[in-house]
Amino acid sequence: MTTELAPPRRRVELVSAIFRFQSLFGLVAVFVAAVAFSPRRNGELVFLSSENLFNVVRAVSEIGIIAVGMTFVILIGGIDLSVGAVLGLTAVGSAVLMVDNDFGVLPTVVIVLLAGLGFGLLQGVASAMFGIQSFIVTLAGMQIARGLARIWSGGQGVAIAYGDGPGEAPVAFSLLGERTFNGLVPIPALIFIVVAALAVVFLRTSAFSRHVYAIGGNEKAARLSGVPVTRVKIAVFAICGLLAALAGIIHAGQLNQGSPNDGFGYELDAIAAVVIGGTSLSGGRGSVVGTVAGALLIGVLTNILRLHGVDSNIQLIITGLVIIVVAGLQQLRPGA
Amino acid sequence: MDDGVTALVEMIGVSKSYGGVRACRDVDFTVRAGEVHALLGENGAGKSTLMRVLSGDVTDYRGTVRVNGSPARFTAPVDAQRAGIAMIHQELDLVPDLSVAENIFLGREPRTRLRTVDRRRMTAETRRLLARCGIALDPRRPVAELRTGEQQLVTIAKALSLDATVLIMDEPTSALSPVEVERMFLVISELRRAGSGIVYISHRMEEIGRIADRATVLRNGAVVAEFDARELTAARAAEAMVGRPVQAMFRARGTEPGEELLAVSDLAVLPRRERPGRREPAGITLTVRRGEVVGVAGLLGSGRTELLETLFGAGPRGRRLGEVRFRGRPVRPRRPRQALRMGIAFVPEDRRISGLAIGHSVLANTVLSIVDRIALAGQVPRRREVSAVRRIVDELKVKLGSVHDPVGTLSGGNQQKVVFGRMLLTEPELLLLDDPTRGVDVGAKAEIYALLGRATEQGMGILLASSELAELIGVCDRVVVLSGGRSVRELDTRAVTEADLLAAAMGESEAVLAVEAS
Repeated sequence: MTTELAPPRRRVELVSAIFRFQSLFGLVAVFVAAVAFSPRRNGELVFLSSENLFNVVRAVSEIGIIAVGMTFVILIGGIDLSVGAVLGLTAVGSAVLMVDNDFGVLPTVVIVLLAGLGFGLLQGVASAMFGIQSFIVTLAGMQIARGLARIWSGGQGVAIAYGDGPGEAPVAFSLLGERTFNGLVPIPALIFIVVAALAVVFLRTSAFSRHVYAIGGNEKAARLSGVPVTRVKIAVFAICGLLAALAGIIHAGQLNQGSPNDGFGYELDAIAAVVIGGTSLSGGRGSVVGTVAGALLIGVLTNILRLHGVDSNIQLIITGLVIIVVAGLQQLRPGA
Repeated sequence: MDDGVTALVEMIGVSKSYGGVRACRDVDFTVRAGEVHALLGENGAGKSTLMRVLSGDVTDYRGTVRVNGSPARFTAPVDAQRAGIAMIHQELDLVPDLSVAENIFLGREPRTRLRTVDRRRMTAETRRLLARCGIALDPRRPVAELRTGEQQLVTIAKALSLDATVLIMDEPTSALSPVEVERMFLVISELRRAGSGIVYISHRMEEIGRIADRATVLRNGAVVAEFDARELTAARAAEAMVGRPVQAMFRARGTEPGEELLAVSDLAVLPRRERPGRREPAGITLTVRRGEVVGVAGLLGSGRTELLETLFGAGPRGRRLGEVRFRGRPVRPRRPRQALRMGIAFVPEDRRISGLAIGHSVLANTVLSIVDRIALAGQVPRRREVSAVRRIVDELKVKLGSVHDPVGTLSGGNQQKVVFGRMLLTEPELLLLDDPTRGVDVGAKAEIYALLGRATEQGMGILLASSELAELIGVCDRVVVLSGGRSVRELDTRAVTEADLLAAAMGESEAVLAVEAS
């Protein structure tokens, strides 16, 4: 059965293998640069200290978790612009439920996660069943989530104080701001790593993920092949909303407050991480591994610039340029 | 060679490689004034590459191209057009949201004195061109609303509007109904009389026998045979293309039909929303028994595709009248997923648009329909899917390097086999096939017919819609003729000729065309 097909197959395979891990190469390159340019303290490289490295992971954990959900949406050829606002809404919700309503940690977390899931689900229904483009649906969803967050919070940040009394949140919630494993690994970083690992495995082996890729690759063909397209699409938006809510809870725990303006512009950072990770905006091609690498790449870059005290405006410009360069490299991929 | 007739175009020793693959090797090819020169070969034989050199689309080739005797080296398709060479591509290069007229005059719109687009002239001019091709279409309709066949005719009209002296037609009839094919042949004869040269690429041997003056056969990028059209037979051409004698094209009949599998009576669909260019079933009655191949014939717009889609649950939502019984029970699949569960499978008309995710692997495409059936606790066992795909790919003799290669790297016929394989993995009892050999080369065609034969031996029933009369007669036991969404005749293929079939399909066609035109 093996005949024909181009002689330089081996080379093609090698090239495509290299490009498959392209997002990792970008990360490695930025990482090496960060090591090379790292400031030294007492002869040690500050960047490479385990504390600093985990800080990088912690700093990208919220965006990273959102980006994992965004990867699913982009794989089906959609987009979710509401995730930043949903993060704001759920951060507010976490604070209000514990501070004003005296809910425990577990009920709060469950309610907030369900809220995010439900919000995503409704957007999925609007997009998949009524055929409105996801860009429009989630643009509207973004406005709605922001409005809800403002109403729920009374228009301002809700501070979270910890204690047992009324108006105080359970101390357990403050764990989100702490570190575990001898005070080494920040809890948000740990959650991000777990979420990412689960998503990687899920996207590799599940029948659901095959349906996701098929829809992004050719929706009509997927439908005619018996893929339950509507159901899968709705589920994907629900997953994305759920993960945005998880990021919202972490956000509230890290900052000890929930503000309706939290998460502003996070959707764009998440999309950037996904695209840097090599996932195609037209759907059907990409991976969570890439997305995680993309998020870490942005994190490492921001970290090294910060260690050098580079002006934050300059940081933005450099980050923007790096995104363009990496996205440009994607065009070199065979078949892109 | 040159018997005094002027050569409009001469290609001498043309070679072109892609990477390490030689697509054309030292090819000589000429087009004379007033001739139709057929170019034959399996998919991947180098026909398209050769024609892309001639039409200025491929520029880094070796060899010489002469136009009217003087050497020419085109650097872009525009150069070739200026030299009077136009190509009608197999892939329809139309802008879907623009109207018919806007597409035809794209980039060279007639202007008024105020330099604005002269819409009136554009529309009138388009109407004249369309009339020449024998179609009545509103020039202001967006191309997206037209059916594939109509779009193909628009591309032909567009090529005519260029006033080319050399016209390259790459499978121009693949989506046309018999009546439209006749009309197009009239256009071609007219062009030939006017002294144009036509390169005609087609997989349909009977067309070439009728229209061509000469035929050149390519295999693996090189010219392997040249025929005078008078001495060309399907068998000889096929042998030259494949490089070995081809066994019987069509399936040998002989399977004794079994019990009734599908019974459709007075099926009609009233869609909730009327979609332009569609002809939903409006009274269809037919049966398919196990072990039987029933053909669905009909002109463009007679509702062949829509019938199959309705039976597969892929049609538009709406009210359904009449009855469909499958294995004795009334059924009404609302989604393809339900139909597949019942044992009804569908191979769609256009594999690139509705069949395959072209960038995904053969594996992912083939296993898609059963991926959730073989999953354990939601996870797809790697070994099981690979072995299932390997088995079906071997069974269908799909030529490929590895099941992990993108399906887009396979030839058209092999891509089609992948779509078949996906459906066969669902273990269906009824196969609905919509023009399954369109754009497929001779060798792969014969294999697909053999595959249909095996399927019927296993007790499957097949409903085969096709625009190729020879195929319908050669493969089917009976043929149901559709017109205007209704089943109007049923013919036994043992006692029928292509002419009979065409006459039956055309029976009410003039009336239908008149309705479409209004």
